[in-house]
Amino acid sequence: MTISIRSRRRPTVGSGGGELGRRRRRIDVLPYVLVTPLTLFIVGLALIPAGFTVVEAFFRIQPLNPPDAFNGLENFRQLFSNTAVKASMGNTAIYVVIGVVLSTVFAIAMAVTLQKKFAGRSVLIAILILPWALPGVVEGIVWGSIWDSNSGLLNSVLSSLHLIDHYMVFLGQHQLLTILAIELVQVWQIAPLSTLLILAALQNIPNDLYEAANLDGSSAWSTFRRITLPLARPGVTIAMVQAIIATLNVFDQPYILNGAASTGASLTMQTYFISFQNLNFGEGYALSLLITAATLIASLIVLKFVYRPVEF
Amino acid sequence: MISMRIGRRGAALIASAAALSLMAAGCSGGSTAASTQTSGVTITVALFGAPPPQSSLDAFTKSTGITVKWSTVDWDSLQTKIAAAATSNTYFADATDVDWSRVGQEGKLGWFLPMEKYIDEPAYAADMPQLDSFKSSGHLVGVPFDSSFLVTTVNKKMFAKAGIATMPTTMDQYTSDLQKIKSTGVSQTPLNIPFAAAEGLSTYWYQTTEAFGGTVLDGQGKPQFEAPDSAGYKAATWMVNALKTGLVPAGNINVSDSQGQQTLMAKGVVASTFADYSGNLGSLYEVPSSSSVAGQVEYLPTPGVSGTTANVSNPDGIGIPKTAKYPQAAAKFIEWFTSAQNQADFAGANGPAKVMPGYFLPSRLSGLAKLTAKGNLVGGKELTTMLKSSKPVFPDGAPTWYPQFSNAVYTNLHAAATGSMTVDAAMKAIAATATSLSSK
Amino acid sequence: MKQRTPIARRLGIAFILLWSLVPLYWAFNISLQTDAQASSKPSNYVPPTASLHNYASLLFGNGDLAQSVRQSAVNITIECSAATVVTIIVATLSAYAFARMKFRGRNVLFYAVLATMAFPAYATLIPLYQILTTFGLVNTYTGIVLVYVSGFLPLATWILYNYMSSLPIALEEAGNVDGANRMQVLWHIVLPLARPGVISTAIITFLFAWGQFLFPLVLSSDLSTQPLTVVIASLQGRHLVPYTLLNAAGVLALAVPAAIALILNRYIVSGLLTGSVK
Repeated sequence: MTISIRSRRRPTVGSGGGELGRRRRRIDVLPYVLVTPLTLFIVGLALIPAGFTVVEAFFRIQPLNPPDAFNGLENFRQLFSNTAVKASMGNTAIYVVIGVVLSTVFAIAMAVTLQKKFAGRSVLIAILILPWALPGVVEGIVWGSIWDSNSGLLNSVLSSLHLIDHYMVFLGQHQLLTILAIELVQVWQIAPLSTLLILAALQNIPNDLYEAANLDGSSAWSTFRRITLPLARPGVTIAMVQAIIATLNVFDQPYILNGAASTGASLTMQTYFISFQNLNFGEGYALSLLITAATLIASLIVLKFVYRPVEF
Repeated sequence: MISMRIGRRGAALIASAAALSLMAAGCSGGSTAASTQTSGVTITVALFGAPPPQSSLDAFTKSTGITVKWSTVDWDSLQTKIAAAATSNTYFADATDVDWSRVGQEGKLGWFLPMEKYIDEPAYAADMPQLDSFKSSGHLVGVPFDSSFLVTTVNKKMFAKAGIATMPTTMDQYTSDLQKIKSTGVSQTPLNIPFAAAEGLSTYWYQTTEAFGGTVLDGQGKPQFEAPDSAGYKAATWMVNALKTGLVPAGNINVSDSQGQQTLMAKGVVASTFADYSGNLGSLYEVPSSSSVAGQVEYLPTPGVSGTTANVSNPDGIGIPKTAKYPQAAAKFIEWFTSAQNQADFAGANGPAKVMPGYFLPSRLSGLAKLTAKGNLVGGKELTTMLKSSKPVFPDGAPTWYPQFSNAVYTNLHAAATGSMTVDAAMKAIAATATSLSSK
Repeated sequence: MKQRTPIARRLGIAFILLWSLVPLYWAFNISLQTDAQASSKPSNYVPPTASLHNYASLLFGNGDLAQSVRQSAVNITIECSAATVVTIIVATLSAYAFARMKFRGRNVLFYAVLATMAFPAYATLIPLYQILTTFGLVNTYTGIVLVYVSGFLPLATWILYNYMSSLPIALEEAGNVDGANRMQVLWHIVLPLARPGVISTAIITFLFAWGQFLFPLVLSSDLSTQPLTVVIASLQGRHLVPYTLLNAAGVLALAVPAAIALILNRYIVSGLLTGSVK
């Protein structure tokens, strides 16, 4: 998903230069030929299926309870009276808060680390983006052996350091601890992109601002607070938006690491249970529509409160 | 933008049958007409385990002219596939898994062809004690290809080490023996209960409820576990207390059934699994590559209130989806696949070359007889006795709303185990779900 | 930046290294151990007797497990490569039209393409399944590739559009004056200039395709089309797949994207930034 923030290059007619060799008074067919394949793909395999989803959210579609019929907002009413869904709403809210905060904080720290050129920086960037490039399915396998309560890495390290006297249970026992552990796995995957986005914003900060601050004898911390952070806002905004999208739709990590337990079940997991376990497809669609709406609203809120245009 | 990782698991499973039915109305679904042809066709068989040996499949092809394309899909994904294909009326396999717990739902929805039209039902019923679990709305949805049931496994060596000479036959004895194993330090955590919120926790509770002398639901689907003196309530209390008093490892809050069997029971961490899977002795505990307790584990007739109790069955079945291309050929395959000779072979009666990896136990008594006659079944005598007296969780068949019910069972039992709710509240919540589902 | 002490930077560098590499090292470490070694307390931080037997049994064994790993590795390579090629061709043509030509409906189409990125693709799985069924494309390479392409096209088009828009138009006009038609200009002038953008887009598309799980899970019925990710996920549901073998399978699935990320990271970084910051 792309957020075009006051783009200096809005895709409007004639942007990005002129047009080439257009003959007058005859329909120019070439652009239509060029965009035909794209149009076929987008209409046939994206817009039409999406249209179905939006429409079906307002129908009763239960193979066990035929026939299918229009039922207005009934699906949504049912969702809001469902205790499991309500518990998942709370969990998902915590996922979003933890995920967005952690990924943004980590990303700012990592971006500042990479802000100045130094020997080996490009290698470090390569290592940084590794977790982003890996298949999500494998993450659960990899991290499962870190949180494991019988032979996990974390327990082993903590007890070797004599910080704990017996192996702990990180997942499934306490709601907050469980969500934190699961969300860390997701942060691992989304933080690299956040870092790149913020790093790009940092690269735009003119060096003379730092030099001036230096002359004023400003401390590193106050320079960071007064110059780096405010000027990185555009990058931070986009980073937070992508984190919101990812965390609101979290599924793999809680499902693989914590099963269906209410300590960590997310909203997208409920869409799965409602659709495929309870065979209540209309409600499943309604819930995914709600998640989409929540994503848009949360993104707009971040835009409003975090984003400030930056002029150099 | 990066949410473009389309296909984050499951979330994507938001499927719409209606989109389908609407579209189907417009463009007739695209399922091809079924063919009665058998010879010279290729059928797809989708199950959650590894295939039988290629040599066995080749022999089947030679005698019938039917080629088998085997597709291994994990259990959860397979249920999703079955639902997706059935609701969108599309072909995905000619024969596939019919889980005992989905029989009610799949039977009512007509997702599978009635098996009684393709096989000699009375003959099967006489030889397959668990066939009844696969009947719904008067039709046979599938045929059990193995006879899995829940059984108690004990590490005899650990029991002996703790000075227990006679094995327990009642729940009270069993519980005090476990406490003894703990207090003598033979095992800090002698009992395995898989408390992860998943199907394995539900089935464990059903078996424990059976042991306390009751059932979960009555014939009308009414919950039977709300009263504190009911079997289900006592079973849940016993399970949660076992965790709270440290009989069960604290980490088990997140351990699933197979995980617990592989990493706790097979590694000698625990001394017993109360509701274990029949066949684990031969396929897991006695296999040196996967177990460090070979020769120590045995099946124990499951303790009950005043003596041993019945074992709850959870057999795996195979059926023909309504969208199958070659139902006749699929039926031929199912007959072959569930024949007594093959079942004995798959379970190891005639050497490792004929074994189907991960196969539990024959679903036919005659298959089991062939297997025990060879003496190749670990714990065969006990299993045969138990199989004869094993009984389904739901005598009247699994209700159509079973998956939703089970979800309520395992999420609430899990919550009671974490202490975020009381056993009483968990029982009430599960009962409320069952009541509202059965009254619909 | 003098005012930030090297110590702070060193801490930052250490954090990045540990954060990215420890989980991966751990999976690799476990995959080289035996089941008994992997469950020891405390854990073995290096394999006591490093052995590749897990990898050998996954890749060269003769059981059905090794067979399915090998076949699905072939499948995922074919599917990802084909999806990448088709995506690049379609996205290049349309990005050129958007960046350099005026036509009716241009903006409507452009925004419609971008809007599909805002809609969670997973919500359309079953309608897609139905559409593919109608055309007999379920469980075919073609069907999976078509779905991938439709999913990745918007981002690919957007990145390439940004690259092409930022190219100086003078060169293209010069080509025009020389009598080259617009397709020749695209081929001989625009594409060579936009090569880094094309490479970036291709790599990002390939990595996304490699990471897919749910769509191929539903759209491929058997081993003839299942990608590696689906086969590995099903290992978890199998009876008795040791923990160490699971980690080895995970490492196998990571190897290709990890190598791409390490070697071609420049292109990934520039592509991602072009696709999002504009």
